[in-house]
Amino acid sequence: MANQSFTKSVLKKTIIGIIIGGILVVAAQQTHFPPIFQIMFFIYAMLGSLVFILLDAPPMKRLEGVKALGALLVFYVLLSGLYIAGASILPQFDPADEAGKIEKILKIRKARSEQGKADELIARAKVLDERAKAITAQLSSLGAGAQVEVASTSGAKAPASGDIIAKGKEQWELQECYNCHKLFGSGGKKRGPVLDNIGSLMTPEALREKILNPKSWMAEGFDKQYEKGKMPDKYRDLMFEEEINALVAFLSTLKDTSVETPKPIKMN
Amino acid sequence: MVLGLLIGGAALAYGQEVPAPQVDFPYTGNRTAVWVVANLHILFAAFILGAPIFAVVAEWLGYKNNDPKYDRLAKEVIKVTVILYSMTALTGGLFLFVLLGTYPDFSTWLIQHFFLVFAVIYPLLFILETIILYTYFYSWDSMKGRLKGRHIALGILLNIVGTVTLFVIDGPTAFMNTPAKAAEGVSLVEFVSNAGLWDKMANYSWMPLNLHRLVGNVTFGGFIAGLIAAYMFMRSKTDEERSYYDWMGFVGNMIGVGALLLLPFMGYLLAYELCDYDASICPYMMADQLSMFFEMQGAMIGLIFLASNYYIWLSLKRIEGVDQIRMSGYVALSVLFMPAIMGMAWKMFPPPEWQSLIFLAATVLVPVMLGKIPGLKNFTVSAFTMIKIGFLMIVVADAIWMTPHGFVATQGLATHEVELPEWAQELALMPAKNAAAFTLVFLTIVNYIMYNRAIKRGTIIWGKIDFASQFVLIFLAFSAIWTMGLMGTVRSLTRKYFHVYNLVPDFTPEAFTPTLSYSAWWITGVTIVFYAVVSFAILVTLKPASSKVEAH
Repeated sequence: MANQSFTKSVLKKTIIGIIIGGILVVAAQQTHFPPIFQIMFFIYAMLGSLVFILLDAPPMKRLEGVKALGALLVFYVLLSGLYIAGASILPQFDPADEAGKIEKILKIRKARSEQGKADELIARAKVLDERAKAITAQLSSLGAGAQVEVASTSGAKAPASGDIIAKGKEQWELQECYNCHKLFGSGGKKRGPVLDNIGSLMTPEALREKILNPKSWMAEGFDKQYEKGKMPDKYRDLMFEEEINALVAFLSTLKDTSVETPKPIKMN
Repeated sequence: MVLGLLIGGAALAYGQEVPAPQVDFPYTGNRTAVWVVANLHILFAAFILGAPIFAVVAEWLGYKNNDPKYDRLAKEVIKVTVILYSMTALTGGLFLFVLLGTYPDFSTWLIQHFFLVFAVIYPLLFILETIILYTYFYSWDSMKGRLKGRHIALGILLNIVGTVTLFVIDGPTAFMNTPAKAAEGVSLVEFVSNAGLWDKMANYSWMPLNLHRLVGNVTFGGFIAGLIAAYMFMRSKTDEERSYYDWMGFVGNMIGVGALLLLPFMGYLLAYELCDYDASICPYMMADQLSMFFEMQGAMIGLIFLASNYYIWLSLKRIEGVDQIRMSGYVALSVLFMPAIMGMAWKMFPPPEWQSLIFLAATVLVPVMLGKIPGLKNFTVSAFTMIKIGFLMIVVADAIWMTPHGFVATQGLATHEVELPEWAQELALMPAKNAAAFTLVFLTIVNYIMYNRAIKRGTIIWGKIDFASQFVLIFLAFSAIWTMGLMGTVRSLTRKYFHVYNLVPDFTPEAFTPTLSYSAWWITGVTIVFYAVVSFAILVTLKPASSKVEAH
């Protein structure tokens, strides 16, 4: 009897869930929610249904011994599968996109770091060279003609030159300026001003000053963001001189007067 | 000549240096290997720090109320803790070896920056904690009666040392996320080079991380106590034992959920400080590479709240006289409108502006006051109706929590086909998320208040709870551990391609954000390994025995 009543309850609640889900989907369609959100609303309706089915479920029979152990193992497998599947069904960020970007950022730093190591090696080689010369001199004084050769060390390659504005645009992408600033109609979430006409409003020197010291300028209407120090003051540490030059050169070319760009105000 | 050759040979040997072989972890790669071992270590560490907090509170309650059940509960939890203590040390050592082997330069750099912490303070604290823990456990029976107060004091001391240990080791961890913020005009490199130990320890995210982990550990301790109770309930042969472990599950769940209610706010505080440190971390977490990790977090939090309230539901069903329990209908109405009201309030007055507190107080207090006015107070709903409304709103609140701005892995790929329509964009913003979190917390508190009334007015029959409740307890522990793994992954990934954010870049090819799916596999793997070890420890440590304790 109890089982029959529960089956009826399951059916009833599933139907109610489908009806509510259907209503939500139609409402979402009418209010211009994309299909993915419509599916999501339907899933929530069915989740609600499942919850209400569980609320009225008859008590579970007690499990003991091997049965309890088996039920536990199945439960763990189901939970693990559910969480992995749930995480896998969501949109996945492609690491390859980021890896390319990171490689570009780190390449110059790595090269400089290797340059640093090379300098250290050269210094060590010089010490060894002097020691070898001393030994050679000592051997000569003993009448031997031994020679000690020290391998020459070449310096790191100079960075390749290129189009500075294109490099500046690349810096815009690499430093993820688009996260806060809207440009060419995309990016930005009101954290920072639109920059389409910034080249007409700020000199290259002022742009450089703002990047290196964000507190030096404030965009009109962005008082709160300015006070909270929303623009990170990390670029003076993170960017090399040529990267800053390139970014400034790129920003200086942004002179689209048709896009309203907040006026910069000199602060200190 | 011989002397010359000797000197020459010595010079050659001096000039040669046998380089250490490059370590490459098979299959997982170096970064995942460090991640897995660190995650495992943190889970064990969280257990040995969280369980004693739980235990000493239980011991104190037993002493205060003269109830031996609490004392037994506390002792059983500590017994498992003692077994797992060695696993914490073992995984800690393993973590150190793996880290040193795979990232030798960075490990050395970090150890040198925090040398006093790693070489002196932390080991001393760990030794002290070990001594106190074992003394606390082995003196349990000898310090009964009039010495009980001293034994509880020893437990409190254990927790103080444990908490200090946590705070100390959080310093370098938080430093990796938010190294000291440089003063104006001084570069970060220069600042850190000259900074003292305290400057590096007391960084932006240190205290938020401490609080988040401390509360998380209490939650963890409560849910693990629930897990112990569930296993033992299943193994129990007598009604008396079942009665005791049913009660233990109830206490574990109550403490776990009680601390869980604070966790969203602690997490918010930590995220707030990270964003305040560097505004670019925020979009990275919420809108870009990690946005779907937070989507998954929303799903997990929703499931945990659903499960904890379902446990209350199952508990209520075995209380005789629960049909008589009623709740003000205004509270039910308040719950129904809470996401909308609080969403609007936080949109107008975003935290930390105080004006939103007026709305908050009104939403909470007005229904209670209306319920006391003669003529209006008759508008009531039954306990079961209230809980059903609560479940409906948990689903609604979680739907709001999980509604993203766009169903894409990163906003750079967003198109109109996957984005919220313009008019509904508020659903994806923080005021809506805060309102959803607050609704979940408020609902759970209301359910517990009702449950408490039911226990006081009705008769609770311990041991007669629906068997499904034991799976709910196991579900809660598993899901809480999984969520800890997920959020730990998120915290580590916010360093992006740096070992120490903005300071020490990670030049290895693995320095990228892994996919959520890949992360989920490893988080699940770590959770299962941890669960297997804890389950084994519970099964070998505790045996169901006939108890003289009268559960009532």
